[in-house]
Amino acid sequence: MRKHRYALGATFAALAIVLLAACQGNTGGSQSGGATSNLKIGLVTDVGTLDDHNFNQFSWEGAKAGAQAIGAAAPQSVVTTQSADYAKNINSFVSKNYNIIVTVGFALGSDTTKAAKANPNIKFIGVDQGICVDAQGNPDSTFACKGDAATLLPNYQGLVFKEQQPGYLAGVVAALISKSGHIAAIGGTATVPAVPNYMIGYLNGAKSVKADIKVELKYISAAPDAKAFNDPPGGKQAADGLLNANPDIDVLFQVAGKTGNGVLQSACEHNIHAIGVDVDQFVSTPDTAKCTVVSAEKKLKKAVSDAIQRVKDKKDKGGTITLDITTDSVGLSPFHDSASMITPDIQAKIDAAIKGLKDGSIKACVETPFGSCDNKNGQPPA
Amino acid sequence: MNLRRARDAAIIPGLAIVLALVFGSLIVIFSSPLIFGLDLTLPLVAYKALVEGSFGSFGAVISTIVNAAPLILAGLAVGVAFKAGLFNIGAQGQFLTGGLAAAAVGAWLAHAPGPVAIPLALVAAILVGSVYGAIPGFLKAYTGAHEVVTTIMLNYIALYIVAYVVTGPLRAVGATFARTPDVGNASLPILVGGNGHLGVLFAFVAIPLAWWLLYRSTIGFEIRTVGAGPDAARYAGMRPRLLIVVTMAFCGGLAGLAGAGEILGLTGFMPAGYSTNVGFDGITVALLGQAHPIGIMFAGILLGAMRAGAPLMQIEAGVPAQMVDVLQGAILFFLTAEILVRYLFRIRAKSAKVAELQTVASSYGGQATPTQ
Repeated sequence: MRKHRYALGATFAALAIVLLAACQGNTGGSQSGGATSNLKIGLVTDVGTLDDHNFNQFSWEGAKAGAQAIGAAAPQSVVTTQSADYAKNINSFVSKNYNIIVTVGFALGSDTTKAAKANPNIKFIGVDQGICVDAQGNPDSTFACKGDAATLLPNYQGLVFKEQQPGYLAGVVAALISKSGHIAAIGGTATVPAVPNYMIGYLNGAKSVKADIKVELKYISAAPDAKAFNDPPGGKQAADGLLNANPDIDVLFQVAGKTGNGVLQSACEHNIHAIGVDVDQFVSTPDTAKCTVVSAEKKLKKAVSDAIQRVKDKKDKGGTITLDITTDSVGLSPFHDSASMITPDIQAKIDAAIKGLKDGSIKACVETPFGSCDNKNGQPPA
Repeated sequence: MNLRRARDAAIIPGLAIVLALVFGSLIVIFSSPLIFGLDLTLPLVAYKALVEGSFGSFGAVISTIVNAAPLILAGLAVGVAFKAGLFNIGAQGQFLTGGLAAAAVGAWLAHAPGPVAIPLALVAAILVGSVYGAIPGFLKAYTGAHEVVTTIMLNYIALYIVAYVVTGPLRAVGATFARTPDVGNASLPILVGGNGHLGVLFAFVAIPLAWWLLYRSTIGFEIRTVGAGPDAARYAGMRPRLLIVVTMAFCGGLAGLAGAGEILGLTGFMPAGYSTNVGFDGITVALLGQAHPIGIMFAGILLGAMRAGAPLMQIEAGVPAQMVDVLQGAILFFLTAEILVRYLFRIRAKSAKVAELQTVASSYGGQATPTQ
């Protein structure tokens, strides 16, 4: 029994140390000198890690860049480990009186909407989130989106991107570097608008510089599931099938998230050119960098940083903000090792396409009122 | 249960927690140079934030309880099965299918009055969870298929059932990503704070219920007897096979109820990418709680507190949320390495007595399958 008492004592001693630590004054927390803004910036990631070479990482870099630009303290992050925790993670920043909360990914849209409604004095920035609210400013369970998010939730900027524009530019590049006149794109699923947006833009871009080019558009899954976006071996299999059936295809564009990394692998193994998506995949997926010519990018870092600066300048407006090429929020990544393939003639055509998209003389696709590509009016399949 | 027995039961888990905290401190100290230079006080900052985020304010306490509720239910789903000598690794699958059933019925009755919609959605979740738990119970009892293997497999099946149903038949029309429609009126009312929903009470009702069932009812006596020795139980006129199926169904129902609480109380719908670890964490909770309902309650609150405090730990100390997983893993390690803990703290082993958890180990020996 004495032994037990000794052990119990040890337990309580250790617990006491923990509690003492809990009662100590605040330490830690990083403060940068010379700050000109006292806005506290927090970021909640989607499920995954902060260095995912994808949405989380580039949004985080945007938060850091934005904080630096406005002279605020370095931002803090909460990494989500399970989707059930979104609301809890957002609220932990709310409870610590953060002024700007960035949430990453469409999956956090519903919880960000609720938090924005409950905390009108906190600014929310939702990356890849089209805001859909009812007349009261709650997440719309009918998805009619009748509520005007800009007036109901003026503190919530939902950032979405015109994927068709970088898609269009990718198509221009693909058509110009193709020797066979036969190119392809593989998408995760047609049921997520971003994917057909990229693909239709790609088709139109390719046709704009080579009217007779053959473009294969292939979707892997009928639903936005793991097969569509999180299955590299499945992506490789699909690409292998397409490339084996059409050996003359010499440029392949992937629009399928992680599934698409398998598509890139397949392109490398078939010794053809690949085009990455969303982020600069030459950098983010080094395994396939050698055949990745360029990527059709959403410039997440710039988009988040800009949104933070708008808050600082008090120029922020709520609602869904569609970012496009006029602010360079979408576009092509650098060509890196493939720069030698881009002759002055090709570069001139790319520049002309960028200019046209910017001044509106070129449309990447026929758009619906919501800014997506209309894939019914004679546009290719969904 | 007298005090001495409670203390004897709590001593190993308590020490495992202490050792895990020490181990966690070392991890934090030695990984700190990777972020901002060696910082010996960082563990204190981290644990302080963890405590502040879980008990530091009214909202934090609510968050702890809300996080603890599904862990307690899942812990009971694993713990009660332990008593019958079954290792229910399938709480995760039972949780998911139960949650899916709640999401489906909730969406269907979204516009029905709450007093109708809520009970029906809950009953559906319990029923589906029970059936999903009864399957491995049946396979164990009548074919001898080991429940560890079958429940792990059923977890994956549940994952893909959810993916199929949410992206297919139950997909909300018009949503930009795959999810079920809103549960509307079937959502559980918020009783306290920002998210203290009704479902939290289920966990705290289930604790005395499980205790009464195990220690004060005939069936509980039979369950424990089957756990201690199925052959002896059969000799005494009990029906081990039926009891195994019934126990697993009961456990599956508890896990299914946990799923319903999360869907109807917190998210309000089920997304295709719904990810959670509640079912697996339930195993830690059950082991830490020594498979006793009261122990499971404390273990669930502890792990719930760690989950509730994790975001603040990242914000205040810059320590990743995965640290909580490290702590949980370390707790589990020190619990199962009981001999090491006894050696470190010079605690003699208790006098020979049938420990309930031993029945789990015995189920690997092959004799636990009832023979006719």
